[in-house]
Amino acid sequence: MMKKQVPDWLNSSLWSTNPSPPPPPPADAPTHPDHSPVDRKPVVPVIQQTAIKPPEPVKVEERDPLRDSVSSDHQDEFENGAGSPSSNVEDVSKQAQLLQEISNKVISLSELRRLASQGIPDGAGVRSAVWKLLLGYLPSDRALWPSEVAKKRSQYKSFKDELLMNPSEIASKNGNSVSVDSEEARSESKGLLSRSEITHDEHPLSLGTTSAWNKFFQDTEIIEQIDRDVMRTHPDLHFFSGDSSFAKSNQEALRSILIIFAKLNPGIRYVQGMNEVLAPLYYVFKNDPVEENASSAEADTFFCFVELISGFRDNFCQQLDNSVVGIRSTITKLSQLLKEHDEELWRHLEVTTKVNPQFYAFRWITLLLTQEFNFADSLHIWDTLLSDPEGPQETLLRVCCAMLILVRRRLLAGDFTSNLKLLQNYPSSNISHMLYVANKLRSHPG
Amino acid sequence: MVLVLALGDLHISHRAPDLPPKFKSMLVPGKIQHILCTGNLCIKEIHDYLRTICPDLHITRGEYDEEARYPETKTLTIGQFKIGICHGHQVIPSGDLDSLAMLQRQLDVDILVTGHTHQFTAYKHEAGVVINPGSATGAYSSITYDVNPSFVLMDIDALRVVVYVYELIDGEVKVDKIDFKKTTTT
Repeated sequence: MMKKQVPDWLNSSLWSTNPSPPPPPPADAPTHPDHSPVDRKPVVPVIQQTAIKPPEPVKVEERDPLRDSVSSDHQDEFENGAGSPSSNVEDVSKQAQLLQEISNKVISLSELRRLASQGIPDGAGVRSAVWKLLLGYLPSDRALWPSEVAKKRSQYKSFKDELLMNPSEIASKNGNSVSVDSEEARSESKGLLSRSEITHDEHPLSLGTTSAWNKFFQDTEIIEQIDRDVMRTHPDLHFFSGDSSFAKSNQEALRSILIIFAKLNPGIRYVQGMNEVLAPLYYVFKNDPVEENASSAEADTFFCFVELISGFRDNFCQQLDNSVVGIRSTITKLSQLLKEHDEELWRHLEVTTKVNPQFYAFRWITLLLTQEFNFADSLHIWDTLLSDPEGPQETLLRVCCAMLILVRRRLLAGDFTSNLKLLQNYPSSNISHMLYVANKLRSHPG
Repeated sequence: MVLVLALGDLHISHRAPDLPPKFKSMLVPGKIQHILCTGNLCIKEIHDYLRTICPDLHITRGEYDEEARYPETKTLTIGQFKIGICHGHQVIPSGDLDSLAMLQRQLDVDILVTGHTHQFTAYKHEAGVVINPGSATGAYSSITYDVNPSFVLMDIDALRVVVYVYELIDGEVKVDKIDFKKTTTT
């Protein structure tokens, strides 16, 4: 009588606690008890089977973004983080590799992208530096860093001075020298006050288009909108919300960046949701361990935000909604991608249950998945989005497609309501695995 | 940056039908935080109209106002400045600067806003500043028919006030500016 064999997938090393992958390189030891809540769906083993090959980019810690715990001791590279339970040998070696790459005189962006796409560790300010490089804020020649950075920071400062003043402050700056003299002259005397003429419509009730006052009142609406959204950003994180002065100063910074962006870009101004795209950037740069970088986080974030948004501008422009470059066509592309890779799921979703991709994909795409996962996971996803040579837009579509494929069993079993509910509240999952699947969806020529 | 509108002596509908259209087009809601009205509106409709421009409205009674319950004088504090309002028909001789200065000391305010003469003046003495916004409709006064419509907008910013004087001269709006600071010793 044949004993029923234990199925192969159950035997895969991914489940075991002992490090024993088939051809074992000494450092490759993913340990699973460290996995915090991960939804093991029945569909996972099918794909996991093909996933067991070293080097496996599995990042096993789930880090609370507020705990900066990592063994930055990259000297003992191959010692499995003796003191800290949540560190991983592989993670430490990744950090070492990245640090080494960015400390080169001239950094190879392609190499950096390759390393970063496997995930950037949370500690030692690596992510901050890597993102700045990937977004083009820091040039690849390390020697140019101080001068470039200083130039950009002072430029931001001049933006702030110019654009954030209200008109009465501007008027007082200009008119100051005149009034002081006449004031001294007649400080104790009686008499009629002297009048000075106003030129160029510079009075508060002016309706002229060139008037600073008029522009100010027109901008108040946008500023109110920005204020409201900033208050609502990440209410669960102490970094952004709460009564502490730290949170308030962070909110101030977000507010200033968005206002300056809106003023400098009259075509697109401010759209609800930009605050969500801005938040991770600011968080990463503000938590840079280098004091100088952390204090200028606002300026750095502004330029990186501009760079990031420039790729996604068309998603925010309402007039382009229905055009070839707008958000609707992007969603259609996602649909096509799904159809290409998983026709059954595509048919079930769009035809049978009639779940229009706009219902869920809109938020996924415009907000770059920041609202679908917890903060730490979204940072990890952004590592991949920013480092992929294909560009963030294409990568984003692949990740969205992977998200759909990973829950396919539940989707195939569900109807309109349950599918929509599932996709609008996407369950937390193993991000590394998801990114791995997304990677596999890359279209190969031929 | 607090914008305060000061106007008065409209005499609608006894001596003038309405505010000049050029003034009306400038007075849109949402920009002004306070309105100080010296009196002589005279009818309730104008009161309601002013309320639509800004909900914070302070009026004192002029001798022709139909609403009898406005106060004779009013004082309030905006920013760092104490401001007093009075129509001015109680002060005799009307428009006399020394008498107004006495009233100002009585009310103990930094800026006194009065009307009645239908002539714009801005006058400084030891106890403070007296501002007369004139008549916003250009209604005739008891002394003269030759009145230019005018009103005043004050931009109060900490210890500094910028007074913008809007006058309608020959059909065109002319805006002048007066700047003064409050000395911190009071």
